[in-house]
Parts: sequence; structure tokens; C-alpha cells
Amino acid sequence: MVEPSEERTSESDDRDGLSESVESVDAHTTDRRTLSPRVQIAWAVRVLASVSILAVIGRFVAPRVGVDPQLIAGGALALAVLGLVWVHLRFRVWEFQVRDDALYLERGVVTTVRTVAPHVRIQHVDTSRGPIERVLGLSTLVVYTAGSRGADVSIPGLTPAEASDLQGRVKELAIEAEGGDAL
Amino acid sequence: MRLDGRTIPYRVLANGVRLGGVVVFGVATAGSSETGTILSPTLVGVVALGVLSIVGWELTRFRRFGYDLTEETVDIRSGVFSRRNREIPYERIQNVDIAQNAVQRILGISEVRLETAGGGSTEARLRYVDAAEADRLQEVISRRKRGTTTDKSTGEAEETLLFELSAREHLVLGVVSADLRLLGLLSIGLPAVAPRLAQGFGSGFDLVSLFGPAIALIAIVGFWGLSGALQVLRYYGFRLTRLGDELRYERGLFQRFGGTVPLSKVQTVMLRENVLARRLGYASLSIQTAGYAPGSGDSNVESAVPIAERDRALALARDVEPFGDLSFTRPPTRARTRYAVRYALAVLGLTGVLWLGSAVTGLLALWYVPLAALPAVPIAAHLAWTHRGYYADEDYVVTRNGFWRRETIVVPYERVQTVASSQTVFQRRRDLGTVTIDTAGGGGLGNGNAVAVDIDASVADQLRETVAKRLQSALAASSHPSPASPSKTTRK
Repeated sequence: MVEPSEERTSESDDRDGLSESVESVDAHTTDRRTLSPRVQIAWAVRVLASVSILAVIGRFVAPRVGVDPQLIAGGALALAVLGLVWVHLRFRVWEFQVRDDALYLERGVVTTVRTVAPHVRIQHVDTSRGPIERVLGLSTLVVYTAGSRGADVSIPGLTPAEASDLQGRVKELAIEAEGGDAL
Repeated sequence: MRLDGRTIPYRVLANGVRLGGVVVFGVATAGSSETGTILSPTLVGVVALGVLSIVGWELTRFRRFGYDLTEETVDIRSGVFSRRNREIPYERIQNVDIAQNAVQRILGISEVRLETAGGGSTEARLRYVDAAEADRLQEVISRRKRGTTTDKSTGEAEETLLFELSAREHLVLGVVSADLRLLGLLSIGLPAVAPRLAQGFGSGFDLVSLFGPAIALIAIVGFWGLSGALQVLRYYGFRLTRLGDELRYERGLFQRFGGTVPLSKVQTVMLRENVLARRLGYASLSIQTAGYAPGSGDSNVESAVPIAERDRALALARDVEPFGDLSFTRPPTRARTRYAVRYALAVLGLTGVLWLGSAVTGLLALWYVPLAALPAVPIAAHLAWTHRGYYADEDYVVTRNGFWRRETIVVPYERVQTVASSQTVFQRRRDLGTVTIDTAGGGGLGNGNAVAVDIDASVADQLRETVAKRLQSALAASSHPSPASPSKTTRK
């Protein structure tokens, strides 16, 4: 995990040099945070749903292809276990941080991706809640930039309070960021 | 203002052709036994009704369409059932393209397309206006855009010719534009098809083995010639000019395309060289603005300059983005091993699939032919590795990838949107990583994004942070409060 902290102070110096803006920027940044553990339930539900659909399909197809249905059940079970392991690992890896010049995300099990989304590039910030998330009391923060992967920057598994708090912070930092229009 | 009157017959014709096709199909498949039904009154009546409704629809659509150039905006009113009023401010218009296909050229009308930064498809289309009116619109919008930016010095700028495709370059374009994927297809198709043909011919087997390769060669050359000729037609008479802060291009023999590229909205610059072009010392240049790549109404390979000598293309690129000399850092050699393993597995996988196919169907006698490609794997891996690289200096980050079609993408730091470093499981094992630099230009499906692939993992992390940091300092250095993008002169 690369987190050069010296970068922060040089960045502050590059700005107007007014101590007020430095302080207000610092007021909005956060340290490294993780998602709410409940998000694992949401992911597990999706994984189990997919596995059971596959199992049902397998059950229908198996007799025609001459495969023992019990093999299908065993395979589905193995897949489910693997899926749950993946869900937990995914939760363990997920981290985000509101830095003074960008939003930083770290995620992914099979492919780990570390994304830096500068505040000055953020067009707008949405919160969204799917049905499963609503039941669990979670929401997702979606950050849009002008890049071709616009909605790639999204943080799931936040409580609604956390999500609107983050939305506020990112909005404030985006407004304070220099650079004119986000193109 | 209204569209040109010739729009109605053209649209009726275009829709009529479509309808005619359906009718012909229906007649052909329906009562073929009774010839009397072809000219039956009901059928004629239905067709006549269809034609009348098309004419009526187009007339209404024509009457309901209007456009205006006001002081600040382009206003467009359209829609028959659901009315639509659109106002597009001049400074938000990125590109103004003019398109004309063969029939439209004969009629003297063209289509005007306005692009803004939002959305991947054309924002507004005027179908169709008089050809001279289209040029006038392009001119007026251009002028009004210049008037609204803070840089007033381009008031009475002249149009300078930057580049014009010479006869020789037309020829090179044709030669170089072969679709090389065909070779791949043939290498898979031949082992599958040839033995069957041989069996089918029986006693004439010797003839087939003699003519087989010749036929294949003719097919390759034929496809090559065809794709080359199409490309030449598409870019016939290509001209690139500069007017103030805008680049303009026009091209095409039967279908004419013309457009404007505002230099202040340029996101990245890409140099494309396929393997043939590289050998001949030629390259093509592509300039990407936010929203879409220029001329993408065609959805094929888009270029600002379709083909030019490499030095010339580089010089033109530097006119747009003044980058310095490029010296690329290649991925570590363990990446090369990775490619060798990957290609070897692909060849073995293909062989396995063919073997399975032959085991099941008993037809593919030559399933082992792909194995002949194995000795080429280390060479292929080395070539893929050689042509990869990245380069980062104070103002630009540049990436390069590809052997068959090498793409060199120059990204000024202030155009970077997000930057991400990623590692797949396999990359983690070899301590490698990939850095993706996302920009607002180019097609969204990963086409045109600058990617530094398979570099050392810690270097990848560093590069990610460096690019993000330099983005901030580039923006701070050229900070302008105006809504238009910062002008080039203040950028270091």
C-alpha cells in the first residue's frame, strides 16, 4: 500500500498559501476507511442467487447430457462456498480515502484496482440504493467524471449517513479544487 | 429557418427503398404459385397507402423542423408527436461536421452534425440543408465560437493548409489498409476446410492441392485490395487546414465528410502505425476531443491525418500538442515471459479445440496444424514486448502498445480524468501492474485510452501517484477562471 504522506504538505504549499484554505481542505479529508460489513450480505445474496440459477439450469440439462444430477448439486455447493470466500476477500480488500486532491479507491480480489479520481474532475456525485441495499440499510456512492469510464468510481456498502457525509465532503473539495471546468 | 426542400424527396426515397425491400420480400415469399396475386388490387392499394403515409409523415416532419442561430445559441425545434426545443450555446459546441453521401451530393444537400461534450453520440443533426448553407453554418458557428472565447486575437485569422493527401499517400493508404485479421481467419479455416475439399474432389485431389494455395492467395490479395480501395475512397482528397483555434478537415470521394476540431478541446493525440505502415515509414494521426473521435459518424478507423510520413505525422502532432522527444521505457523482461506463456497456451488451446472437434465429428484431419505456430511464439512475445512502453516527462505522459497496430497516445497532464493501477492474479505473481490513464476523449469501450501495461508493480504505483500529482500542478499552473479550457500559451 503506497501512501506517501509528504505529498500532502507539498500539495498544500502549491495552493494559494493561505492557511484558511489548507485548513478547510483538511477538514474534509478522511483517513483510510472500509465498507460496512453488512455489504457482504448483499454480495453473498447475489452470489447465491447466481449459483442457484446455474444449479437449476444444470439440473434440467444434466439428464439429457448424461451427467449425474448429484454431481450438479456437489458442483453448485462448491461454487457457493467459493463465492462466499470471494465475497469475504472482496470486503477485506475494499478501502477508500478522501485525500486532499482526489478520491482514492482500492478494491478487487481477482484483479486489484487502485483508482485515483481527482476532485477537480468530478462532474457530479450520486447516491443510489438497490432493493437489497435498502433492506440492509446501505447505499452506494457513484462519482461521475468526464472520462470514458465515467461511473467506474463507485463506493458500495455505505450507510446512508456515511454516503451523504462523503457526498458533502467530495462536493466541498470539488468546489474548492482549482482548474475551471472539469474538461 | 427551415431545412432545404429537397429533403422531402430524398427522405421519401430513402424510406421508400426500405419499404420497397420489405414489399418485394413479402411478395416473393407469399403467393408465388399464383402470379395473379402479385398485381392484385389489394396489394397495390396497400403499397400506395404505404407510400402516401411516408410522404405525409416526411412532410409533417419537415414542417415541424426549424433552426436558428441566435446571439448566444443554436436553437433547434423538432418533433411531430413530442416537440423538442433545444438551445446549444456556441462555446459548448465541440465539433461541427458535414456529411454528404453520393445521392445527397447529386441533390446538392448535406447533413450538419453538432457535437457537444456530453454524450457519445451526435447532439444535434440538421437533415438536410443546402450544401452551401451547411458550409455557411459551419463558418458562422466557428466565428461565433471564436468570438465568445477570451482569446480575441484570432479575429481575422486566415485558413492555412496543414496537410493534403498526395497521390503517393493515397497509394500508400490503400496498400497499408489491408485488414490483417483475415490472415488469422485463413490460418484457422484452411486446416478445417482443405481436407474436406480434397475428399470431395476424390481423384482430382492433386488438382486441389495444387490450386488450393493459389485460391487462398487470390482470396487474400482480393480482400486486401478491396479493403484498401474502400479506405482510399473514404479518405480521397483529404485536406487538413487550420483556422485560428480550429482544425478543419474534409475527405471522401462518393461520400463527403467535413468537420472542425477545436484545438482548445483536444484531449489526447494518438499516432497509429500498423505493421505495414511502419515498414514503409508511414503513420496516421488521430486527434481526440471530448465526446467522440472526429468523424466517428463512420464508426471506423478515424484519423485527423489518415496517412503521412512518420516525421510529418509527428510534426503535425506536435503542432497540436507540443511534446518533446519520446524515449519509451519498456516493461521488465519477465513480462515477455508472460506473453510467451500466454501465446503458447493459446496455440495449445486452439489445437485442443480442433482435436476435440475432430474426435467428435471425425472431419478435421489436420487438427495439429496450429502447432506449427509454436516456434513463432517466442518471436511474437518479443515483438509484443518490444512495442510496449511508456514515457512521462514534465508535461505529458505517453503510452505505446501493439505490434500489428501500434498506438502511441500522448496525454497532457491537464487532460487526465482518473488514473488507476490494476493487477490481475497473474500480474501479482510476477510483480507487474498496469496503469490506465482515463481521458475524456475517444470511444468509451477502452479504445483510445492510454494504458501502460505490465510495468513493474511498484513503478505502477509510483506512476499513478505521479500522474495524479502532475495533473494538479498542471491545472494550477494554467489556472484560468473562464469556463473555456485554458489556452495553450499559458501552459508550460
